[in-house]
Amino acid sequence: MKKYFITFIVIALASFVWVSCSDFPVDEDGLLITTRGQCYVSNFELLGADFQTVRTKAAVIDTTAQTINAEVFFGTDLKNLYPQFSLVTDAKLDPKIVGKVDFSDLTNPKKWTVISGNRLVKKEYTVYITVQPKP
Amino acid sequence: MQLKYYSLTLLTLLVVFFTACQDEEYSLPTLEPGLHNDVIKRTLGPNVVGLNLEFAYAMALPQAEGKIISAQVEASIAGGPATYMEYRSFRTNSSGVDVPAIIGSPSVTSGTKTEVVFSKDTCAATLRYFYIIPEEARGKTVSFTFSAKASNGQTVTYSMGPYNIAKMDMKLDLVVSDNNNSYISIADMTAYNATTAAANAAKIDLVYLYRSYTTAAFNHALVAPSANPDYKPGITLPAGVSNSAKIWKVWALRDQHLARLQYGIYIDDVDFQQIDFTGAPDYAINLRAEAGTWVETADGTYRAYIYINKIDNAKKEMTISIKRFLMK
Repeated sequence: MKKYFITFIVIALASFVWVSCSDFPVDEDGLLITTRGQCYVSNFELLGADFQTVRTKAAVIDTTAQTINAEVFFGTDLKNLYPQFSLVTDAKLDPKIVGKVDFSDLTNPKKWTVISGNRLVKKEYTVYITVQPKP
Repeated sequence: MQLKYYSLTLLTLLVVFFTACQDEEYSLPTLEPGLHNDVIKRTLGPNVVGLNLEFAYAMALPQAEGKIISAQVEASIAGGPATYMEYRSFRTNSSGVDVPAIIGSPSVTSGTKTEVVFSKDTCAATLRYFYIIPEEARGKTVSFTFSAKASNGQTVTYSMGPYNIAKMDMKLDLVVSDNNNSYISIADMTAYNATTAAANAAKIDLVYLYRSYTTAAFNHALVAPSANPDYKPGITLPAGVSNSAKIWKVWALRDQHLARLQYGIYIDDVDFQQIDFTGAPDYAINLRAEAGTWVETADGTYRAYIYINKIDNAKKEMTISIKRFLMK
């Protein structure tokens, strides 16, 4: 009986050690590095200071040209907007969005880089904002 | 060895069962002698001058020992003129309706004290106390001492508080109109027309306007006099009206005091103190009912939250309610 008991403990411990030592690489942000090579933006949202959308219609995302075109309502406060990107699985965005973004300089559109799940593919997207014409 | 492991397992199981199956017998509570009391505060949210603080004061003694002869509340600061204590004890019936039972004469308030004298043979009652928060209490704390007397000479007391009284002011249901009272003063918490606005030019912080366009969503707007002319089309400001307020648009912040809807959200003094107006614009267009705006006056003296109770496109007007905080 003692022999079985000890054997059971040893097997249990061995399995814990095996699981804990499995190799799951993570990047500097603590995010999992996977085998996925896809790298694109699937959706784009733009919220005002009141966390309501400021888009007049769905943003046009061109994954080949790597551009996002969004039209915002007349009177949108471009200095205080929250962009939201939806990315392909496992991808991440650089630089990170940590708060409000100033889009008021329309001649110098903002750019973000999408990095694939395997961290090997990087694509820079340019976000072009146009404001609904003055009535 | 085998026996040792079996014994150990059995013992563990026994301990678990013993703990799980312990049965506590219910016994009727014994009636404690003497007069007792208890209080609960019924109002929620910040305590704003002009509103009330409501309490329910319960008192009882065994029937054989006597009856209650009076109940009294003493506030540390005298309440507003409408402060009173109920002279009816309420019970809730099976339908959830509060049914009153008169126990004495209407309360008498003298200075800080409010008293109800019992005239019915009552050994248990719960009386509501409504303290109208007076102007003198603004920014201070207020405490309450509830007490009851029984015919056998016993008295009991119960202390409640201290409660902080908010510094902010409130103005409900101010109608602003595109054609008439469109100039809003946070300092005065009122709306002026073009003529009276000129006489109070330094105090005008916002201009209300309504514009309906098919090519853009403008609709109801609150803009500072300093705003870009694109955001105040057709507006000719009265002489001297030029302030530059900062405005944050807000959605779904339905303060209970202002909105009087079912949402249990309250804006308190601390919200005004902590909000950051850095980079805030001086206009807010396309406002909707149940939306709002945080506003800071040009000189930073006041911060306010303007809640939009109602909009009327046909009349080109909006009903707003304001909470205002003096910063300096």
